[in-house]
Amino acid sequence: MSFLPVVLALLAGAYLVAVLEGWVSTGRFRPAGPILSGLALLGQESLVPRTPDRIFFEAGPVLLLTSALLASAVLPLGPGVVIVDLATGALFVNAALVYVMVALVMSGWGPDAAYAMVGGFRFLGQLVGYSMPIVMVIAAVAMRAESLATTEVVESQAALWNALYQPVGFVVFMAAAMALCFLPPFDLPTAPGELAGGVVAEYTGWRLAVLRLARAVLVVTVAAAVTVFFLGGWHGPVLPPWAWSAVKTLAVAAGMLAAGRYVPRVREEHLLAWWWKLGIPLALLNIFVVGIMLVTVGG
Amino acid sequence: MITLLVALIIGALLFGIGLYGALSQTNLVMIMMGVELMLGGAMVNLVAFWRFLHPEVYAGQVFVLVVMTVMALEMAVGFGVGTARFRARGSVEMEEARELKG
Amino acid sequence: MLLQALFAGFFGMAAVWFGVVVFRTSSMVRSALALLFSMTAVGAMFLAMEAEFLGVLQIMMMATEMAIMAIFMVMYMMDPGGLGQMDMSHQKRAAQAAGVLGALVAIGVALLTSWGPAANAAPGAAEQTRLLGIELMERSMLIFETAGVTILTAMIAATAAAIERRRR
Repeated sequence: MSFLPVVLALLAGAYLVAVLEGWVSTGRFRPAGPILSGLALLGQESLVPRTPDRIFFEAGPVLLLTSALLASAVLPLGPGVVIVDLATGALFVNAALVYVMVALVMSGWGPDAAYAMVGGFRFLGQLVGYSMPIVMVIAAVAMRAESLATTEVVESQAALWNALYQPVGFVVFMAAAMALCFLPPFDLPTAPGELAGGVVAEYTGWRLAVLRLARAVLVVTVAAAVTVFFLGGWHGPVLPPWAWSAVKTLAVAAGMLAAGRYVPRVREEHLLAWWWKLGIPLALLNIFVVGIMLVTVGG
Repeated sequence: MITLLVALIIGALLFGIGLYGALSQTNLVMIMMGVELMLGGAMVNLVAFWRFLHPEVYAGQVFVLVVMTVMALEMAVGFGVGTARFRARGSVEMEEARELKG
Repeated sequence: MLLQALFAGFFGMAAVWFGVVVFRTSSMVRSALALLFSMTAVGAMFLAMEAEFLGVLQIMMMATEMAIMAIFMVMYMMDPGGLGQMDMSHQKRAAQAAGVLGALVAIGVALLTSWGPAANAAPGAAEQTRLLGIELMERSMLIFETAGVTILTAMIAATAAAIERRRR
């Protein structure tokens, strides 16, 4: 059973991502930071706002964690190290990650607060932007692998990584991945500067701890998805397969976190305009080019 | 066989709920939700028929895809009409939409 | 076989229960998300019936669709939070009768028809996805393309209907 190793790897990855995020956003490297702030959150009282929609308020963070865990269930960390090897794995990753949006809308509506609600519905708009390119890019990846199974996708990149075979798709997918886990240039639902935390503003105590854990797990899951789809998964010389998966996933997560520092936050309408006028045409072009390359020079 | 019957009964129940909703609600969006439920019941039936009666004929699965398309189209057109009506009248209550009568 | 029936029945009951919740709650967002989870349960039912591609597709598409429905409900309803306990239904009796009658007729047809022998095994998921793709690209290509063109038409028509008229 590869259930336990995968979950442990996810938790370790989430911890490292939390350390990295702290390092990137504050400039100080504190390896024990997440543990300390986690303990502080658990000791804090978890307030429930007045007139909440109680079901949504409680279920939102849990659904966020669940959707990230479900998506990670089909991502292989090594040959055979995958919880379920679905035949439609590449599509299932996307299907599970759509529920990130549902979770954010729920936890935005739940506390009956203006900023939280604005944040939740902003993420819905963000999803309308990034979800089409993400499916199209995955379609191009599946075209090369001639399969939707994630293990087959990794096997198809043994000779040449997808990041080099279809660089346009890689760039679009990286941007979509950052939008998916609402990292800085696309952090519209939380937007510390203008929405005072948005969706997370009304959460305190252990509920906030669950929410932060879910976010860190989500970042790791999405980075692992980028690794599987574009960076050749577990393939690599010298090191054992699991180490390659770990190194690539962490590198992608660090890259996503660091890239956000140098870009200003995108406004909602600009975000939608960019995704629909640039992202979708690029993703379609990617499918077209990959199709031609597959027919002429082969995978 | 028993799964086929279970699926058909579930489909029938979803259809009944959807029919009740589409007839009893006064609001355009709620009526659309009833229609979506009815289509959901139809999809359950289609998948059950494909799986238990003709698993080798993939036109059954294509039919399900077409129903999904119909659901998306219904949403798009319904919200388009709803937005136009909300701009003109300030509500999407269907009891007030008497002038749409021929 | 029995296990499959149990799973299909479980997810089916979940779908029906969420479907009932849609029309019983007065909060619009709850009602839209209940529809979402009803459709997700229908997708899980597809998975239980070994239609893996359709199940995953259903789970993926319906989440976006119903969440967009939620935002439109908040936009257009007088009381989206349902705090005022407004009643927004009419002709309840007739609707109930029609709903019960429709369900009963469909159940009757399902139980009284002799469906013949049921197929025991479906092709594996990978094989299914491949064959569905071949079906879409060969025999049903015209249907599929028609669906695509219809979506495009509906997109343009809906945008044209919804767009604000510019005053000149």
